[in-house]
Amino acid sequence: MADAVFTQLVDRFYPALYRFALSLARSEADACDLTQQTFYVWATKGHALRETEKAKSWLFTTLYREFLRGRRRGERMTALETVPETEVEQATLAPEALSSMDADVVMSALQDVDEGFRAPLTLFYIEELSYQEIADVLEIPIGTVMSRLSRGKTQLRARLTVAKQGAASGGVVKFEDFKGKAGHG
Amino acid sequence: MDNEEAKFILRAYRANGADAADPAFSAALEQAKRDPELGRWFEREQAFDKSVANKVRAFTPPANLRDAILAGGKVSVRPRLERSQRSWWRQPGWAALAASVALVVGIGISWPKFSRANEVKRFGEFAMNDMLHAPNHDAHGPGMGQLAALVSDATRKLSGGLPIEFEALRANGCRTLRFGGHDVLEVCFERGGVEYHVYVMKRTGKTHAGEVPHFHETSDGAGSVVWSDEKHLYALVSAKGPDALKAIL
Repeated sequence: MADAVFTQLVDRFYPALYRFALSLARSEADACDLTQQTFYVWATKGHALRETEKAKSWLFTTLYREFLRGRRRGERMTALETVPETEVEQATLAPEALSSMDADVVMSALQDVDEGFRAPLTLFYIEELSYQEIADVLEIPIGTVMSRLSRGKTQLRARLTVAKQGAASGGVVKFEDFKGKAGHG
Repeated sequence: MDNEEAKFILRAYRANGADAADPAFSAALEQAKRDPELGRWFEREQAFDKSVANKVRAFTPPANLRDAILAGGKVSVRPRLERSQRSWWRQPGWAALAASVALVVGIGISWPKFSRANEVKRFGEFAMNDMLHAPNHDAHGPGMGQLAALVSDATRKLSGGLPIEFEALRANGCRTLRFGGHDVLEVCFERGGVEYHVYVMKRTGKTHAGEVPHFHETSDGAGSVVWSDEKHLYALVSAKGPDALKAIL
């Protein structure tokens, strides 16, 4: 019975958790590790929670904590509260232009967003959690989530605009401070 | 509320409509209906969000991740169900106290070994659970015959390691799983009427077991053993338990 519950829980949430992990860790192998580790922690500690909705928040919270725990010492999160003016000016991409872009390019742009914005932004686009739940998962105030979503979207748009322009001119898109593209098979 | 405030709120409104019943958005949504300019902005914002969400959703996890999660997780769930059958000194409270003392004493001098031992233990559990729960072990492609013959050879002891060409086996369709972000190859074989499964992954800093085999036996008599050589980490499992494993190591 416990195995069946665990299997249901895995089936329900592992794709979304993997996407969150991929955005945070920026590598497929690390995303797999984080997702596996999250369910491993669940299996050893968390499965007393019976309500699915609580389990959902618990899993995302645990994955985020595992990510922060595993980060190399000295590598600090860039939780910028402002977006540079140049990026605001670049954030002009129309929704129609976005729909023709490759998922790989969009994920790379998302992975390039400053981490302080990226975590709430990815959770928002995974669409599993409300902004209140995102605040709980990331352990930040609701107002901060709203603010980071707003600024994060501006930054994402700017990166996508640059990517679109790069593709249109036949050039290679190179995001600043990009640390590794996700392998996706 | 002016339009800038409404935009600030509406940027947190999910494009799949999941927030439709949330009263925190009501006033801003009403304003977007009344104000054409804000309405157009909101429509485009939602179209953008929907498109990004679709692109993110297009990223599917690697095929073997689910199996790996289930393999690692189920083994961990089972012991907790058996709590009432444990001796008092094996109850979680006492075990935790004992573990804490041992940890405090040992952590300063043996953290790398502890971490490595944990990975080795998990690898054994992973292999055991895959043997017990995976629906099939038949995904063996061409080129597997030589290795199957090697491990089935009754005169060959396995503890010295195996001449495995990891990349070639994987490319040839050897059943491949994922453990801790690494590929794991699995080969099934039989010796003396006993079925065995050997799991092989490339050795990393965290995942080498040393030359001394680490045995583990489950309550229902199945056994696993983990060891490593210069290149690979191995887990050998059998439903017949440790004696069957020792016989071919």
